[in-house]
Amino acid sequence: MADLTIDRISKSFGKTRILRDVSLAVQDGEFLSLLGPSGCGKSTLLRIIAGLETRDAGSIAIGGRAVDALRPKARDVAMVFQSYALYPHYTVERNIALPLQMRRLSRWQRLPLVGRLLPGSRSARAEITTEVLGVARALEIEPLLGRKPGQLSGGQRQRVALGRAMVRRPAVFLMDEPLSNLDAKLRVQMRVEIKELQQRLGATIVYVTHDQSEAMTMSDRIAVMMAGEILQVGAPHDLYMSPVDRRVATFVGSPPINLLQAALAASGDVTVSGRCIGAIHDTGPARPLTLGIRPEVISVTQPSIKRLTARVRLIEHLGSDVLVHAAIDGQAHPVIARIASEPAHTVAAGQTIGLEASPGRILLFEADGRRLDARWRGTAQARPLERVS
Amino acid sequence: MAAVALAGPAFLLLFALVLLPCAAVFVIALTDWQLGARTLHFVGLDNFVELLSDPVFRRSFRNTLVFAGGVVPATLGAGLLVALLIEAGNSARAVYRAIHFLPFMATLAAMAVVWEALLHPTIGLVNQAFQALGLPTANWLRDEDTALAALAVISVWQNLGLAMVLFLAGLKAIPPDLYDAADIDGADEPIDRFATVTLPMLGPVGLFVLVIVALRVIETFDTVRILTEGGPAHASELLLHTLYVESFDFLRTGYGAAMAVVFLVIVTALTLLQAQLLDRRMHYQ
Amino acid sequence: MRPARLSWAAASARHATLLATSLFMLVPFAWMLSLSVKPPGEIFTATLALLPSSWSFANYGRALSESSIPRFLLNGVVVCGSILVLQVVICAPAAYALAKLRLPGRDGLFAVVLIALLVPHQVLALPLFVLCHWLGILDSYAALILPFVVSPFGIFLFRQFFKTIPDDVVHAARLDGLSEGGIVFTIMLPMALPAVIAFGTISIAAHWNDLFWPLIAVNSEQLMPPPLGVMAFRNDERGSDFGPLMAGATVIVAPLVLVFLAAQRWFIDGLTMGATK
Repeated sequence: MADLTIDRISKSFGKTRILRDVSLAVQDGEFLSLLGPSGCGKSTLLRIIAGLETRDAGSIAIGGRAVDALRPKARDVAMVFQSYALYPHYTVERNIALPLQMRRLSRWQRLPLVGRLLPGSRSARAEITTEVLGVARALEIEPLLGRKPGQLSGGQRQRVALGRAMVRRPAVFLMDEPLSNLDAKLRVQMRVEIKELQQRLGATIVYVTHDQSEAMTMSDRIAVMMAGEILQVGAPHDLYMSPVDRRVATFVGSPPINLLQAALAASGDVTVSGRCIGAIHDTGPARPLTLGIRPEVISVTQPSIKRLTARVRLIEHLGSDVLVHAAIDGQAHPVIARIASEPAHTVAAGQTIGLEASPGRILLFEADGRRLDARWRGTAQARPLERVS
Repeated sequence: MAAVALAGPAFLLLFALVLLPCAAVFVIALTDWQLGARTLHFVGLDNFVELLSDPVFRRSFRNTLVFAGGVVPATLGAGLLVALLIEAGNSARAVYRAIHFLPFMATLAAMAVVWEALLHPTIGLVNQAFQALGLPTANWLRDEDTALAALAVISVWQNLGLAMVLFLAGLKAIPPDLYDAADIDGADEPIDRFATVTLPMLGPVGLFVLVIVALRVIETFDTVRILTEGGPAHASELLLHTLYVESFDFLRTGYGAAMAVVFLVIVTALTLLQAQLLDRRMHYQ
Repeated sequence: MRPARLSWAAASARHATLLATSLFMLVPFAWMLSLSVKPPGEIFTATLALLPSSWSFANYGRALSESSIPRFLLNGVVVCGSILVLQVVICAPAAYALAKLRLPGRDGLFAVVLIALLVPHQVLALPLFVLCHWLGILDSYAALILPFVVSPFGIFLFRQFFKTIPDDVVHAARLDGLSEGGIVFTIMLPMALPAVIAFGTISIAAHWNDLFWPLIAVNSEQLMPPPLGVMAFRNDERGSDFGPLMAGATVIVAPLVLVFLAAQRWFIDGLTMGATK
């Protein structure tokens, strides 16, 4: 296992700039996700790390040594593809053994039939078989070794692809959305298995995905990418609680963060739809702001002049929680509040309700998307809540 | 019902123009009928027995096997090579593809006449060029030893484009991911990529191309008729030409029908073999 | 395959090899054109020169006057066009019935189509010849067209395509009041355009270039399609006059070649798709 350094990588395809000066450091033994929407360049970055794609500028280093001049097979990386890319005409055993055969047997030794008779061939092959068997047992696919990929289910193929990557014990594992072709239940199950595997092996993994819940549950750190740039790198919790950009805040978390249009006065007062909800220190000039409030931060209360009021449009029952969709006057989009189901059973569509949130949990974003890190004046505690009777 | 009205004409015609004539061929093969004769007699399998000892038919049959045995691998090999080379690079693909497919599109009868000019012993381009290069020359179409070979070259020239086009389609169907996986696994030399990914993935396509080209080659007629008429001394006689000559030149239609039956059996066997092999291969993909 | 960015050496090797094979492919065409514009004196002196020292289009004049080449081409158009139209008109409804309607013995009928697919037309030449003789249509356009109006391959190809069209489209059309025949020609065929193009390409190429059956079916020069016409022309000239022969060959080969070059995509895609189905 080794660490991975990505230093100012840029890449364009023709006139389109895919990656702009991307830098990232992955620690030895870390599970790092590259998270972002389709087209943001995450797969391209992964392929550049693997050596399948050339870069226009910048450098990649694995375990401290630069690999830019090296071909993929010399970089000591293994890759799990979205489509698994298993050789359909080889058995599972051959699929997993191939990387070892390519490296340890000479071309003559690899020849069918004849190759086995050459000196050294037998012991090398025996070694390979042992290692393949070990990997197959670890992944519980030993009974499948004699079959061909066409005879396997999606989940089984996925494990074979993992096995093929694992058997080489590479410095870095690269995974390109490996779970996206599986059904939802299998996906959740495989997430846990891959994470456990990583911890057992102490492997360094770079994991590309567009699924934020996948990234959040599996990663030590997440790098959020959009339009060829890394917006933020951090532990899942940090990304969730302290996003540096409105785009990161919207991408991470489900249901997505509520965004409210607000105005900041020179005095520091923050008003939403005409109602002042608080004031902050160190403001700067008066300007429009966007407030970001997570659904679980909002409490539903009695409507009152002192609070933000909204009209309930829709209630979603999730069993343990309830999602309340409510429209605030003057706001373009409805907000979603997540509340416990017990008190919520009295809230109904069409009702007018009041909304409350602890100021400490409200995020402020400038017009250009950057987060405004400011302290709220007054107490940081939530105001007492009154339940809807 | 509407369905009957829609399908009726087609199946009636199918019966009249394909199935009935097919049965008729089998029946005629069992007679001694001559085209235009008033009477015929059933002679059982006599025609087939005669075929077995007929030196012309035996020569023709052997020629066809040798011909196919040479032309089919050469066409497939060359077609595959050209397809691989075209796909390997980015420049001028459409141009090369068009050039190599052109002979397949050109009316063979007309191009046969052109080849006759090319192979002319004195003023033909081939002999002139060979002479200039110090290579041996011959009267290609009139010499017993070279006539069949000359026809074989023309056949490869014509069918290469077909093989190439089908291989191109097969190559395009190979998922690029497999090559990436091979690169990472260590099979990144061209020969390793070919052995690990390209060749195995082309298996079914290759089989298909083999049968298609083999069928076309076995059905060679135009060049034989126009250039050599099977000669000299049946050196370039091929099955379909022999069939034609017996049935329509010599008017020994019963005998010719027996040849047609043999021909049909060969073609059917090839096609069914392909279907079987493809089926079995598909099972494991 | 994802074509790699080739090293200079590899790219040169690629072009060198492909140019060599291209040369082999093109030499007959080049020689044909070359001889067609050379005067007789030059043709019969042994030279390697491709370009004539004196251009002469007299060969074309002679070719066109001594034989009915334009007539041959016209026959090709008439015969191939008629065959294709009739094939579509006859085979498409049958394919539709096999694909979408409840027909008694449907599977058996499809098996019959598959069997018919196996039989090469040369095998049937003899009985078909006798049939045409009885019908009295020998040595006429009818004889050239009749044997091919039903194409098992056409039924097969169209059926495969029609099967991929959702049944709901057919139901909607019926509700709109279309007759079954109307459905075939106004709904199914337009939706299966790739199959129609593929089939058309294969059918026209096959019948335009067919020598075997026309050789049997017609005698009059007036009716000869291009391959037969060329053969007749060559037999007339009998080994002597390459000039007009090459000019004639050029005129015969040109139409299909030019159409191919203009519509390459169609031909190649059509052929590939037809073959893989």
